[in-house]
Amino acid sequence: MEDKLQELVVELLGDGAMEYFIGYRQGFEPSHVVPCFVTDKSEADRLIWGPLCLQNLSKYVLQARDLDGKVGLLVKGCDARAIVELVKQHQIERDKIVVVGVPCEGQVDPRKMEQVLGVSMEQVTDVEDAGDEFLVKVGGEVSKLGKEQVLRDKCFYCKHPTSFDYDYTLGEVQPFTIDSESEEYDAVEKLEELPLEERRAYWLKQFERCIRCNACREVCYGCYCKECIFDRTDPRWLDRTPLPRENEIYHLIRAVHLAGRCIDCGECERVCPVNIPLGRLYKKLQKDIAELFDYEAGMEYDTVPPLVDFELDDQDPFL
Amino acid sequence: MDRKKISKADLGRWLDTIAGKYELIGPTEDEGIIQFGPVQSSAELTLEYANSLIPPKSLFFPPVESLFAFRKRGEEIQLEETKPLQQDRVIFGIRNCDVGSLSLLDRVFCDDLEDSYYRERRERTTLIALACPTPPRSSCFCTTFGIDPLSPAGSDILLTDVGDVYLVDAVTDKGEELVALGEGLFAPLTEGEEKELQPPPVDMPQLDVRELRERLEALWEDEYWEKLSLPCLGCGICTYVCPTCHCFDISDVGSTSDGVRYRCWDSCMYSDFALMVSGENPRPTKRERTRNRYFHKFSTFPSRYGTGYACVGCARCLVHCPGGVEITEVIKDISAKEGVSDR
Amino acid sequence: MTANIYLPSIATVREVRPETPDTSTYVVSFDDPQLRESFAYEPGQFAELSIFGVGECPIGIASSPTREGLLEFCVRAVGTVTDALHDLEVGDKLGVRGPLGNSWPTTEIEGKDLLFIGGGIGLPPLRSLIQYVLDNRDRYGAVQIVYGARSPQDLVYKEELKEWEDLPDVDFHVTVDAGDDTWDGAVGFVPPFLKDINPSPTNKVAFTCGPPIMIKLVVEALEEMGYADADIITTLEMKMKCGVGKCGRCNIGDKYICRDGPVFSFEELRSIPGALEV
Repeated sequence: MEDKLQELVVELLGDGAMEYFIGYRQGFEPSHVVPCFVTDKSEADRLIWGPLCLQNLSKYVLQARDLDGKVGLLVKGCDARAIVELVKQHQIERDKIVVVGVPCEGQVDPRKMEQVLGVSMEQVTDVEDAGDEFLVKVGGEVSKLGKEQVLRDKCFYCKHPTSFDYDYTLGEVQPFTIDSESEEYDAVEKLEELPLEERRAYWLKQFERCIRCNACREVCYGCYCKECIFDRTDPRWLDRTPLPRENEIYHLIRAVHLAGRCIDCGECERVCPVNIPLGRLYKKLQKDIAELFDYEAGMEYDTVPPLVDFELDDQDPFL
Repeated sequence: MDRKKISKADLGRWLDTIAGKYELIGPTEDEGIIQFGPVQSSAELTLEYANSLIPPKSLFFPPVESLFAFRKRGEEIQLEETKPLQQDRVIFGIRNCDVGSLSLLDRVFCDDLEDSYYRERRERTTLIALACPTPPRSSCFCTTFGIDPLSPAGSDILLTDVGDVYLVDAVTDKGEELVALGEGLFAPLTEGEEKELQPPPVDMPQLDVRELRERLEALWEDEYWEKLSLPCLGCGICTYVCPTCHCFDISDVGSTSDGVRYRCWDSCMYSDFALMVSGENPRPTKRERTRNRYFHKFSTFPSRYGTGYACVGCARCLVHCPGGVEITEVIKDISAKEGVSDR
Repeated sequence: MTANIYLPSIATVREVRPETPDTSTYVVSFDDPQLRESFAYEPGQFAELSIFGVGECPIGIASSPTREGLLEFCVRAVGTVTDALHDLEVGDKLGVRGPLGNSWPTTEIEGKDLLFIGGGIGLPPLRSLIQYVLDNRDRYGAVQIVYGARSPQDLVYKEELKEWEDLPDVDFHVTVDAGDDTWDGAVGFVPPFLKDINPSPTNKVAFTCGPPIMIKLVVEALEEMGYADADIITTLEMKMKCGVGKCGRCNIGDKYICRDGPVFSFEELRSIPGALEV
């Protein structure tokens, strides 16, 4: 599939169909995959595809706003939801983007894999998708790991293994299910069962570690405000000091701002350097939005996120 | 002081003795993260670590700290300076890249306008460095910047794991005081051991940085910075995990009659870092901010302070950058850049 | 400076003089009598002014050390801290941390003719040196002052401008971008106004301070007239926090504006990558 991808990118860059293409390349070690911006045909051979191509690249399309031409990018089915929302929320014209859809049969959660293998990802030299399992190479030895052990949480409930909106596609995969011992909202429900004070204590303890590096915000497709409320100095709504009180406000404001727009891509939790389980927070929002508004973000073009929309007969008991 | 040894079984006893007299700080693991933090006993420490996520610069220049409290009483305003430390401290387990970073930070904070908070923390802290495990992590490149992961330079004591025992090199008076606390736990090396007990040599990729500064300075206007900054997300991870970054913000928390002036880490990668109230921004895009960061490391810091490069090869930014901006690649790119004269 | 470089000293506002609709002069003195005595500064230096609970902001010292006693700061309300400074009344307290930064050259320019070109709120930092020169009149040659503001009411130090105009050994010129009924003086931007005056570059040093666009055009005009870069001296503005070269914010090249500046000659600026992009 990599050959096909590289050929396609060479062709599209050659035609002038796009200014650059955003995909994945290997980083400083084999298990470390990072974004790859291909501006010249000669660099297309760096592009790779596999179960460690984790990052949702959609945020980068916003950079195309300043370009005359288009940008192309490799889009997994889950990440396509961000494209849909960005277009729906009028952040980018769909025709500024060349979407190359890629069939995906599940992504590895490196933290889970390290636990299962008992070694650092540094020692993993290759991960190959083999249907129900991954073939993992460590120090020359290949071992088989059942997907249920090491998949990213979101992959268990994958609805679009192939991008459903694409200009080019590298293939199709059939929707699949991976048996899991837990249900989608188990972790959220466990927290919901806690008394309010304990629930708050849980989150305060998590937020206490926050160093306010803003990585969760910067990687989030939905954080596109020209001036973020956290950066405003006059008035200053939130201080930059990573004190517990400020950290709590930071995360709760961000959560509320993303309610109904979060597409559960899991990037906030993945990039967090101090392992705050943000996915759990956003999963709760997703659950509430589904229950209250019967809405799931990024699934189709012709609906509007409930909290950015209104109807004249909306209930407004709080006014 | 001559090299000594301490058995692995006795290390904990020694550290516990230290903890009785000093605040003991060392590597601990919480939620899967290695961090340096205060411990009551050596049992809380972990020895299974390559390095901490947040560099121990945080123990000298904390992510957030109170500078002073202010209180309005009638017409008067009272300021109360915050004492940075309650007790003398011992940091166990610091790695040599981070020891190296402290000598760079010293140049910033202990120049002729001395930062008394940093200074007090430095003076009242004894460093027990722990030589790095072999082989090092694949990302490490400290030797590129002249750091020897097996040297006691910059610390007070170096411990080197050679199997059943640690070799102990106390190289300062502060270090010898700590060794003296562990009476009976340390033994001199026999002649045979002197030769036999040696750590395996460290093998690490070495980058060519001989002309890095000159070549970089020739690239100020180059289009390279535009391309390099494309995958940068504009978060602050690289600067917060960097042991040599020292940018900070100062802000007041509280009311005008009662509050605290804090300083906290800030990041030159943030879009509003240099934004002026007039709306002007000397580093308006990721291009200028990325360029500024690498210039700071490899050109302006060395030029200002007369030091080597302001990077110690700890590779934290390399590992944690969510956009995959890799400092090792930047160094290689600059070295390989055509049209830049080889002087 | 105190032993703790981040700790301000408490001072009291002795006088508030409104200068323009959004700018006022604050005359302050330290509460500590010893500090009042020992506080030494050079013209061109600045201080960090604190409104506790709001924050700090760097403001140039507008008075001259030759006039003993009180410190003057000319403050335009443009942000949270300067807004809060504008709420101060006589008798109110504030924090002052300084003096910070380098200063205008005073010995190197002895015997030279001096040209001061100020725009709007750029005059106060120059005024520190102008007063210094006037108080040491015999050490310096001819003094020429060219000042401009957006409108007559945006001119600061209106009384002092008249005094300068009346001084026999000061050649004073003033202009406004747009006049009004009260104005019978020159109208026009500072750079072309300067070109019309056409001050000779011989044995002269030019000092300029004002909005960035004015400085840029003034420097172009001076260069056209034959001024050397080393004889054009200005102050730079960058976002500052610590004021003591630590917080990493205000650098251009390897210079921190707060420590190595704010005063630079154009010769220096040309040698620093990016300095003239600011």
